[in-house]
Amino acid sequence: MISMPKVLVAVPEKCTGCRICELACAYHHFKVINPSKSRVRVVRIHHEPADAPVFCTQCGLCIGACPFNALKRDLKTGAVIVDEGKCTGCGVCVQVCPYGAAVIDRDSRKLLICDLCGGDPECVKHCPEGALIYVDAEEAAAYKRLLVAKLHSKPLSPYSPDSR
Amino acid sequence: MTLLHGYAGKILRVNLTTRKIVDEPIDEALAKKFIGGTGYAAKILWDVLPKKIDPLAPENLLIAATGPLTGTLTPCSGSVEFCFKSPLTNIFGESRAGGTFGPKLRFAGYDFLVIEGRADKPVYLSIFDEGVELKDASHLWGKTVHEATDIILEDEGNPNASVACIGPGGERLIKFANIMVDYDRAAGRCGGGAVMGSKNLKAIVVDGDRGISAADPEKFYEAAVEALEAVKKRHGERLSRLGTLGGLRSYNEAGALPTKNFQTCYFENAEKVSGEELARKYLLKRRACFGCPIGCGRYVWVPAGQHQTPPHEGAEYETVDLIAVQTLMGDLEALVKASYICNTYGIDTISAGNSIAFAIEAYERGLITKEDTGGLELRWGDPDVVLALLEKIIERKDLGDLLAEGVRRAAEKIGGGAEEFACHGKGLEVPAHDTRGTTKSLAIQYAVGNPRGACHIEPIWPGMWDYSETDMGLREFGLPWPPPSRFKEIGVKRGTAYKILVSFGELAGVLGVCRFSFQSSEKKNLNLKRLSNLMSALTGWNLTPIDLLKIGERAYTLKRCFNVREGITRKDDTLPKRLMAPLTSGPTKGVKVENLDGMLDEFYDAFEWDKKTGAPKKELLLRLELSDVAEKLWKNPP
Repeated sequence: MISMPKVLVAVPEKCTGCRICELACAYHHFKVINPSKSRVRVVRIHHEPADAPVFCTQCGLCIGACPFNALKRDLKTGAVIVDEGKCTGCGVCVQVCPYGAAVIDRDSRKLLICDLCGGDPECVKHCPEGALIYVDAEEAAAYKRLLVAKLHSKPLSPYSPDSR
Repeated sequence: MTLLHGYAGKILRVNLTTRKIVDEPIDEALAKKFIGGTGYAAKILWDVLPKKIDPLAPENLLIAATGPLTGTLTPCSGSVEFCFKSPLTNIFGESRAGGTFGPKLRFAGYDFLVIEGRADKPVYLSIFDEGVELKDASHLWGKTVHEATDIILEDEGNPNASVACIGPGGERLIKFANIMVDYDRAAGRCGGGAVMGSKNLKAIVVDGDRGISAADPEKFYEAAVEALEAVKKRHGERLSRLGTLGGLRSYNEAGALPTKNFQTCYFENAEKVSGEELARKYLLKRRACFGCPIGCGRYVWVPAGQHQTPPHEGAEYETVDLIAVQTLMGDLEALVKASYICNTYGIDTISAGNSIAFAIEAYERGLITKEDTGGLELRWGDPDVVLALLEKIIERKDLGDLLAEGVRRAAEKIGGGAEEFACHGKGLEVPAHDTRGTTKSLAIQYAVGNPRGACHIEPIWPGMWDYSETDMGLREFGLPWPPPSRFKEIGVKRGTAYKILVSFGELAGVLGVCRFSFQSSEKKNLNLKRLSNLMSALTGWNLTPIDLLKIGERAYTLKRCFNVREGITRKDDTLPKRLMAPLTSGPTKGVKVENLDGMLDEFYDAFEWDKKTGAPKKELLLRLELSDVAEKLWKNPP
């Protein structure tokens, strides 16, 4: 039986903005306490009930855009993998990334992008809220559709009958 | 400079008078002795401040302190501790906020920020990787916390930065003005906002990309993940689901909910202002501070109506008790509004609510009249009265100008026996836990135990022992067990227990984590063993649980020495009359404090403080390796 590939998805309603995912990601990859080296970034909008972990969706747009052929897809996990020998930190990937999920590490000047930790994402293990999940592609697709649908939701009015 | 693992490594010193900004390395010897946070800050304040200075004079220091665990993967590590001489109490002042300010200060390269002097016009301090700068804040003066924070983040072009900021409360030197972090996290107590206002410092904004290294990275990760998994078990518990307000109903049922300016510990309308009610009607979502798996923060709003508010973090238990329950106001919408106003105008909700209840009682007794209140008729249980008084305090208008000085000064001015029901300890307004209804351990804490006055949470919530009956893993380090009845006064090892509790509790402020991470069973908290594992792997120093307890005791003792130098003696170690008198109704009706002196004697004995003067004995100071302090303190015996 062929097992379904897995996908990392966010459940933003559950995120409290604690940033434990950022710390875990940076520590797992660099053995340092420094959330700026995280490949997942928690965005909080102070005046709205919005906290959300933002990370690479592995769409692969950057692979074709990279002028140095430094990016390729890991066929096992589906993650975009950086060949650090080829990456020059030119920033074209940052330019094309639709989610702001690609960043250049300030020390190494190489692309920082989610590698799914080789198929066992560290952020998922430590999120206390279940706001990050690593699930079968079909289940993930349902979450993704929900996120797309939410783009069309209307902002709540304080005067709507059930404002919560 | 050698690399100090676990530390950002530097102190940022800013002199607002001369506009001189200097980086100073962390002193390794001092770090080993005091570790960081409020301990290291207490050492700086002890060394630098001359005694009896005016807390609002330029020479007072404002220190933002973090500990080695701040901002690490250690659970609940989003701490910053502001330390200063308090304008409310004239003694040692410390005040903690969560959010992200402490971690970001460390990621910007600094463990401590030490501010002195006074700017000639309003300024704010920006701390980024590109540099540290004092910037003009004329356009921010007069703005609320929320407005100023918005403007600064937009001007700096960095929505991810953290802002610590004062509101009009701090600018107007309201003695219990607070410092607000990330919009709604409050360093509430002791008037740090007034110190900041006196320095013409509107705000501090910080962000950084630097990291903190661990001496043994593998071991530290292992210890941090183990601790995280332990504290994660509290996810779904009451504190996580309902916030600090979750306890209100059970306190009321136990006769432990301070009500009507501490006349009783039972409120008939408790259901109406409960955590359940808040969650049902006004909660938008839970929000957590940096690195916290509990997430007690309430992101709430009142969506419409007279008391409409924008979404914000608020309505903590303390706020609800002091502003609503103490004034008999069973109106949660008015409370959320009041909490929001306190946050954005930058005043402490505990002191504000306590002052309002005090004013209503003074009015009822005829000690103040409509002339004092600008025509406002004060009465219990009226949201309009509470909100109007709050506005008067913020505007320093009519009676509000007097209340803005805190209840101790207000009672002195009003006279006529007002001090009998002015509920403060050493000038700090009593919070939402009662010396009669909750536990007699609190009588010790309010009278003598807390270095900043009457406070329930620092160094620790002592009711963990005999109210919640949870040992926090301290039993094997000598915490008497089982705990006695919470109502027993003497002869139950209360002093001994309290000493272990505070030596442990101090470590939260010293290491830079939230006290809530300590306050659970040893299976689910940051207990001494976990702290020892974390700190040893992080710093590379071998810090045993016993070493840590000693470091906690050292910090605690030094703060007392600071207060002794300011003139505090045994006669100041007392309770307001109101908190000793019998409770007037509810399940704990009739309970009183009868033998405070006996409890104090047991406390001084356990702590090796001189029973006559209340000063830490010389031998104790020598044992804690504070010989320089001993020399100064006992040169002219207190």
